[in-house]
Amino acid sequence: MHADLAVAAPARAGRYPAAVVALRTARRAVRSGALWGYVFGLTVASSALGYVAAYKTLAQRARFAALFGSNGGLAAINGPAREIQTVAGYTVWKSFMFLIVLGAVWGLLTGTRLLRGEEEAGRWELLLAGQTTRRRAAGQALAGLGAGLAALWALTAVIIVVVGRSSKVGIAAGPALFFAVALVASAAVFLAAGAFTSQLAATRRQAAGYAGAALGACYALRLVADSGTGLQWLRWTTPLGWVEELQPLTSPRPLALAPIAGLVVVLAGLSVYLAGQRDVGASILPDRASAVGHTRLLSGPVGLTVRLVRPAVLSWWAAIGAWSLLLGFIAKQGGSMLTTSSSVQQAVSRLGARGAGTLQYLGVTFLMVAWLVAFVAVTQVTAARSEEAEGRLDHLLVRPVSRSSWLAGKVAVATAILVASGLLAGLLTWLGAASQNAGAGLASLLSAGINVVPPAVCILGIGVLTIGVWPRATSVVTYGVLAWSFLIELLAGFFSSNHWLLDTSVFHHMAAAPAVNPDWTSAAVLVAVGTVAAVAGGVAFGRRDLAGE
Amino acid sequence: MGSAAIRTDGLSKSYGSVAALRDLDLEVAEGEVVGYLGPNGAGKTTTIRLLLGLARPSAGRAEIFGLDCQRQAVQAHRRLAYVAGEASLWPSLTGAQTLHLLGRVQGRVDAAYRDELIERFDLDPAKKVRAYSKGNRQKLILIGALMARPDLLILDEPTSGLDPLMEQAFRHCIQEAREHKQTVFLSSHILSEVEALCDRVGILRGGVLVEMGTLAQMRHLSALTVEATFDGSVPDLSRVPGVSSVEVTGRVVRCQVHGTVEPLLKVLAAAGVHELLSREPSLEELFLAHYGASSETQGAPAHAR
Repeated sequence: MHADLAVAAPARAGRYPAAVVALRTARRAVRSGALWGYVFGLTVASSALGYVAAYKTLAQRARFAALFGSNGGLAAINGPAREIQTVAGYTVWKSFMFLIVLGAVWGLLTGTRLLRGEEEAGRWELLLAGQTTRRRAAGQALAGLGAGLAALWALTAVIIVVVGRSSKVGIAAGPALFFAVALVASAAVFLAAGAFTSQLAATRRQAAGYAGAALGACYALRLVADSGTGLQWLRWTTPLGWVEELQPLTSPRPLALAPIAGLVVVLAGLSVYLAGQRDVGASILPDRASAVGHTRLLSGPVGLTVRLVRPAVLSWWAAIGAWSLLLGFIAKQGGSMLTTSSSVQQAVSRLGARGAGTLQYLGVTFLMVAWLVAFVAVTQVTAARSEEAEGRLDHLLVRPVSRSSWLAGKVAVATAILVASGLLAGLLTWLGAASQNAGAGLASLLSAGINVVPPAVCILGIGVLTIGVWPRATSVVTYGVLAWSFLIELLAGFFSSNHWLLDTSVFHHMAAAPAVNPDWTSAAVLVAVGTVAAVAGGVAFGRRDLAGE
Repeated sequence: MGSAAIRTDGLSKSYGSVAALRDLDLEVAEGEVVGYLGPNGAGKTTTIRLLLGLARPSAGRAEIFGLDCQRQAVQAHRRLAYVAGEASLWPSLTGAQTLHLLGRVQGRVDAAYRDELIERFDLDPAKKVRAYSKGNRQKLILIGALMARPDLLILDEPTSGLDPLMEQAFRHCIQEAREHKQTVFLSSHILSEVEALCDRVGILRGGVLVEMGTLAQMRHLSALTVEATFDGSVPDLSRVPGVSSVEVTGRVVRCQVHGTVEPLLKVLAAAGVHELLSREPSLEELFLAHYGASSETQGAPAHAR
């Protein structure tokens, strides 16, 4: 199976010998860019259509704007509110910040995967043995990433333009195209950043770690700048701030594209230059090639799993922890305006939350925590599958380890990680809230944390089932279920009558805790569905051939 | 004893409409060193993956030490170790960590022997796997298998990527395994390796075991190569019974003889032969005799014993 890759490249090289790296990279980047383009487009569409459905009259929109527009807590999360009494302004406010962060994450993961990841797997050596130089190959790979970015932009733009044509939404094609540019600008920066850190680090994980740390710093600066503390100028110190300054749809400022484009060019140029300065497989920063090997965890498959997933899970926990702390920190301020008006109460209850103030606000924002924890579940499933796909599982299964015990160990470790993620979210939200005397109880926030685990367990089970019956589609199916569920939640306002559709989202069966009490019956059903799927997947896995990539 | 180390019975595997392995009957006795030869795609790896329970047979069954390869895989695996030709390991672990892990999972390690192997193969175990060359990764997997001193070693092209010196060290290890009465099943396409190490050889072609026997038995299947130099004119040997592939270079004739050499010797003597060389075929020539003439229709499966 590995041979396929080796054979595929020369076969294509036959037709376009000079562009084999560009074509290979582009093929994979475009596939991924197009997929996320749908997610981007549909997220924007759901924000716009949700607004026009919920706030039909100008008076309603003005009331909404008056209440939400000056809320520093929300501005810290969503960015400053501009013209949110208009469809365009609201759409930007609702979707922009989330999508530019998502785009940055996509960019750094894709950039590092297709550069350092390919190099780490030894596939670059094959290509570089052909008719290209290291520098030219890096340039080609960047061109391939550019094609992926173009696909992301194109899909996003098409969907926004189509939705904008609706008379109720009324966004003209020109501004819509510029909005799409702004949405993918952070992806461009972090694709280039991923290519750059791919030169610095020896492993894909390390390269993604460096780029991720940079993103974290950019996000933190942006957060401070937007939280209404008089430090707005900080926005100019971070690429995410530049992207914000594009101010699409409200008061477009194309000039802010200049620093963004400049940074992309510098990072891309450095990547190409550094690629020529080093050996294939080597890194610019010194690589710890040898180490004093601790063997504490390496006594069996379960310990190995813990050891392998530890670095990635710790980064996830850092992200979930920071996000939860932030949520708790701003919950009081965010929740204070919710209690002031019955029309806002109505608006918020449409989002699924009841109850008062802080808890109500957290009930809405915890959906994002649920999504992050479910994302962790997907990464555990794909990590398990890649052990099999890349042949490392063979070394365990040819020893006295049964398939069922290996898979059960993976599921047990993943479940423990998910429960710990949920508790961590609850605990840190409580810490943040308590520091502001927001009056949210530890018990109710911990149970809200546990409440986000069942949807993730359900996705985990579906993932295991896929490993069992359709292993090569594991990543597509699990990411698909995650993205689908998220979109359904965003679009829930439109299908409130169609329960069949709503029921297909794993998140729809989760109560909006801590705004309301967790619905443990639904939670049990989610866990049961996940368990049945996992058991069926385990049985199927025991009966099939091991499958490579 | 009683049970063979490996026994298969009508073992078959198809991928869709492609038959990767057809009706394999194979028996390897305990303590035997058996070579398993065939070109790429002949079904060698498929056979091994079926023996290891990594793939499910389409028909037939396989046993290791009397234990069913599918249903009793875990028990069977306690007694064997496997070396894959393509070494994909955990890149973030060091060599020492990998060996520790594999030893713990296997459940038995001869620690002194492991250290000796590390020395013999000249491996730096403090390095991380991702920093190893392909050859070093292969050594790591070899050591990981040999250090358990299993009753059965299943090796799938184990020396790919090793330099000649390490290849020598590998052969030494297999000789040791033989002395320890370990059974070895060695899949390879390096003929000299198989010739040097194996008691018996099986040849696989298009998913069918076409030949199985000792090297001595196999040699009878191939022609003897005869080279004769004449003082005077070269006689016409093409019509001599049993002679084929006649090549004339000046006054030197080279030909192949099947069966008895008597008719040829008579002709040669009458023609005034000056110099006569004859030798047994190498495994390489046996192999080419089976695969070289690809126009020849496939041989019937030889049910091996």
